[in-house]
Amino acid sequence: MSEQSTTPRIAMRGISKNYGGVRAIRQAELTVQPGTVHALVGENGAGKSTLIKILAGAEQPDTGTIEFDGKAVSITSTTDAIKLGVQTVYQEPQLFPELSITENIFIGREIKRGPRVDWAAQAAQIHELLDMIGLPHKLATAPVGDLSIAQQQQVSIAKAVAGEASILILDEPSAILTDTEISVLFSIVRRLTERGVAVIYITHRLDELFEIADTVTVMRDGETLDTYAIQDLTVTKIAELMVGGIVTEKREVRSFDDVVPTLELHNVDVGQLLRGIDLQIRPGEILGLYGLLGSGVAEIAEAVYGMKQPTGGHMLYQGKRMVNKGPAAARRRGITLVPANRSAQGVFSFQSIRFNISIGDLAKLSPLKGWINRRREREIALDLIKRLGVKTPNENQPISAMSGGNAQKVVIARQLLSTPKLLILAEPTQGVDVGAKEEIHRLIGHLAESGTAVLVVTTDLAEVLRISDRVLVVREGKIAAEFGTDATQVDILAAASGAISTRNES
Amino acid sequence: MSTNLESRSPATDGTPAPRKILPSLVTGQEGVLIGIIAVLWILLGLLTPAFLTSGSILPLLVAVAPIALIGVGMTFIIITAGIDVSVAAAIMVTAVITSQTMVATGIPLIPAVLLSIGVGALLGLVNGLLVAYGKIHAIIITFGTANVFQFIGLRFFGSSTVNGLPDTFDVFGRGEAGRTLGIPHSFAITLLVVAVAWWYLRHAASGRHLFAIGGNENAARLAGIKVKPLVLMTYVITGALVGLAACFFIGQGTSTLEQSVGAGRELLVIAAVVIGGTSILGGRGTVFGTLLGAILVQTVTSGVTQLGWPSQLSDLFVGVAIIAAVGTDILRERSRRKS
Repeated sequence: MSEQSTTPRIAMRGISKNYGGVRAIRQAELTVQPGTVHALVGENGAGKSTLIKILAGAEQPDTGTIEFDGKAVSITSTTDAIKLGVQTVYQEPQLFPELSITENIFIGREIKRGPRVDWAAQAAQIHELLDMIGLPHKLATAPVGDLSIAQQQQVSIAKAVAGEASILILDEPSAILTDTEISVLFSIVRRLTERGVAVIYITHRLDELFEIADTVTVMRDGETLDTYAIQDLTVTKIAELMVGGIVTEKREVRSFDDVVPTLELHNVDVGQLLRGIDLQIRPGEILGLYGLLGSGVAEIAEAVYGMKQPTGGHMLYQGKRMVNKGPAAARRRGITLVPANRSAQGVFSFQSIRFNISIGDLAKLSPLKGWINRRREREIALDLIKRLGVKTPNENQPISAMSGGNAQKVVIARQLLSTPKLLILAEPTQGVDVGAKEEIHRLIGHLAESGTAVLVVTTDLAEVLRISDRVLVVREGKIAAEFGTDATQVDILAAASGAISTRNES
Repeated sequence: MSTNLESRSPATDGTPAPRKILPSLVTGQEGVLIGIIAVLWILLGLLTPAFLTSGSILPLLVAVAPIALIGVGMTFIIITAGIDVSVAAAIMVTAVITSQTMVATGIPLIPAVLLSIGVGALLGLVNGLLVAYGKIHAIIITFGTANVFQFIGLRFFGSSTVNGLPDTFDVFGRGEAGRTLGIPHSFAITLLVVAVAWWYLRHAASGRHLFAIGGNENAARLAGIKVKPLVLMTYVITGALVGLAACFFIGQGTSTLEQSVGAGRELLVIAAVVIGGTSILGGRGTVFGTLLGAILVQTVTSGVTQLGWPSQLSDLFVGVAIIAAVGTDILRERSRRKS
């Protein structure tokens, strides 16, 4: 590490930000020294992104001050932030597919002669940058759209450091990178801190902090807790700080008869994403799957639902070998999936609630194939709206006019109609208010009691503990740990982020 | 620069590559278009010997001029992933205001051209403000303004045509007055505009920013690019070029300005841009391609007429060309997604 300076590169004090009535962050403090890697950790929704967006000028704080190298500054736009040398590498590469790597790196701060881009001067610098990020020179003129996602991420980093970076923000850069690519990333980060750049590093993979971070600030519920030197921490300690002292009410331990499991996965591989997955779920059981972004947890659900084809192992459904060519095949077997991004995948937003419920099982409404019995459609919709406590003036309201919680209830209601044998729920309560969350959890419980096997894929720690009979933690494409109802949030978070190592160090 | 890294790599020394980071000079699609145009001209020349004479080619170039001219602005817009379907109505508004002013006051050439450009730019400003700051898709906005412009234009016309136009704009016309050394002025002006726009899109930083905006608007904003002013500019430029093109249309016409002036031209302009290789998805395109696209569309139209075929056939051919151009674009995008 280079010399420690007493003046922080950046000091954010008393930062608060509300979105509408919702408090995203309050009284947040962040002080970063030049030449250090400062990790920012916290659960989803803890306020990390908002704090970073404020620093990058993408959002304006409601209160608070920002000091840069000891001087008070106001950052009201991304341009202001860039002038100060605040560079951000976002999780999703923010690149221009039709432009070359060179242009992508220099865009917005071209080396110019008059109004003209000085191509020769840019060319003179590009090869060094490509060397640093480990990409071959011949790619300098390749359109970025032709690169892999990992390569695009490398270009994003080069783009950030090619500017006069005084602060480099890396927002979960490792989530989509392979181990080799992560070590390339770390060497870049170290080279930058040697130069005095302050690096703010956001990650969910707590184990890597011990490799790269100097200090760690933990965020919880929109507040920044203390800042710690990395030497004073362990993965479990960080996990404890992240989840706080919240005790989740425990589910009672339920026993399941020794019946044929609804679903069994034996040694299932999906390309490089999943390796040797074993799991089983019985009728009436709620199995929670917890894993960080890129852990492979989403792919398990996709493999079961026929959206991804396993490349190894096999699946048994009600004791019989199952191969699903696609979601339609899975549905015919009685498997349904409620997707995470319901605005994109789950609802027909301009259509009525009635339509959105009945589309789940049109066959039930038709005496004749292709006909829909309107009256029956209406009856079923009204019945479900009542049973679920969906708050709406009538069943003809377009779903886009409803709150997220109520919309999600409608989507789950659609599943009730056909009472699936296996229900896969991805992030069932993402973005819904507390009251609706309760009701959705109760709904899931009812479904399980009626014999449906429920697989819940979630990144919400409290949720996974609250509704699951068993929790499987997925990490790096493998099942890292299994917990019963007696697990704590810290156990699960620590397992998911690396305290329990499952790596094959072969 | 805090990141001027130490030169570590021997490979950077003595590599003569640098200049190659320039965008390539001629895109594949432009090459294909030049080939197709050449083949068509030769075929037409063989089938109707009159085609490859100045009596046939020069009017073709005169007809290409206003389409290619507006096409330059439209290329800018489509590169930013926008579109302007109001240009036909804007042609009518600028043409009728300019014509009536000329008839009423007899203003000379330069002020008349400037008036027309000014009115066009004003209409473009309306489009640009709504698109850049209104956060509604350009096709909806300009479809709306097209109807408003149509109304305004027809109000100026009243119930009749504009009659007794002076010969001020004959310098842009088909006749002898419209040429110098055999070159039609309107086409020469268009070539000049294409050349300037080509340089701008290729070398000027703000020109490159248009591609960035069309490729990923959010990323462009994050990179500190002034997205809204630039988007606004593309519509104002298109409006100004519409104004200039309106002068060409008046010059090519008779001494009477019909209410139908400009009608249907927006589709020809968009066809020229798309056939010229500009991606309708934004982020990619060239004005040289647009010029070639305009020539191709006009060649097909003239060719069909000269062969004595039914004129609907030219619509068919242009339609097929558009589908082929957009189709290759989509296929390209799709193959990329897969990899």
